[in-house]
Amino acid sequence: MILITGGVASGKRTYARRTLGYTDEQMADAVLDARPVLYNLQNLVARAPENAQGLFDALREKDVVIVCEVGSGIVPLDRNERETREQTGRLVNRLAAEAERVVRMVCGLPQVLK
Amino acid sequence: MITLITGGSGCGKSTYAESRMLSYSLPRVYVATMIPCGEDAARRIARHRQLRAGKGFETLEKGVDVGGLPLPEGASVLLECLGNLVANEMFEPDGAGENAEERCLDGIRSLARRAANLVIVTNEVGSDGREYGEGTERYMQIMGRLGCRIAEMADEVCEVVCGQPVWLKGGRA
Repeated sequence: MILITGGVASGKRTYARRTLGYTDEQMADAVLDARPVLYNLQNLVARAPENAQGLFDALREKDVVIVCEVGSGIVPLDRNERETREQTGRLVNRLAAEAERVVRMVCGLPQVLK
Repeated sequence: MITLITGGSGCGKSTYAESRMLSYSLPRVYVATMIPCGEDAARRIARHRQLRAGKGFETLEKGVDVGGLPLPEGASVLLECLGNLVANEMFEPDGAGENAEERCLDGIRSLARRAANLVIVTNEVGSDGREYGEGTERYMQIMGRLGCRIAEMADEVCEVVCGQPVWLKGGRA
């Protein structure tokens, strides 16, 4: 599994298309189905942050998991937002530990962290 | 040479951009995109002016349509910062509105064609995971996309972290 992270519109899906060769039809927007690429993982977590860690087994089977950086701001006042942010971070760490490659996108340029 | 410098708030990207500019010969032009309104802006502008004092910069203030700026022959140009330019083009009365992204890029292309060196400072704004209103979401999308598009045309791109440049394209290790 390849994990791609980065800020809003930083080129994460473009990397999956151009460098990894996946098409938009192969990319699922925050839903777990048979498609090999999942993006907007943070939105999937936000629907039920208390179950975030339960997503791990399904996600490790993916070819590519794409997540938006969500942890570089002020701690949110709203409890659900706070949990989402925290649980997304924890889940992504576990995924990164399993991943064969971890890429962070900045200005459309990949920084290979692992 | 086109250099794009990004980073979070207060990471030292202005200082780094300026040191980069000082390695280039005169004339040096500073394109300030912040439109002074309010005390906070005035304070920031004063701080940046002080940083540049006595370093041979000619300051041009231009909040929108930077492509139209006249430049001296062979100038090295520091554009600071893209975050203000995009906001001005989107929301100011004389901004490009719907065409903000394209006008910013056209302006940067025009400066790049005429300048000997161009250093552009942008800002990481899309990494806090918060949801904002529609206008702000659009702003974040445009900032992200412009970062990618400028990086594509740039010779070198770095992210500044704690004052240290982390090179993503070209540059020195």
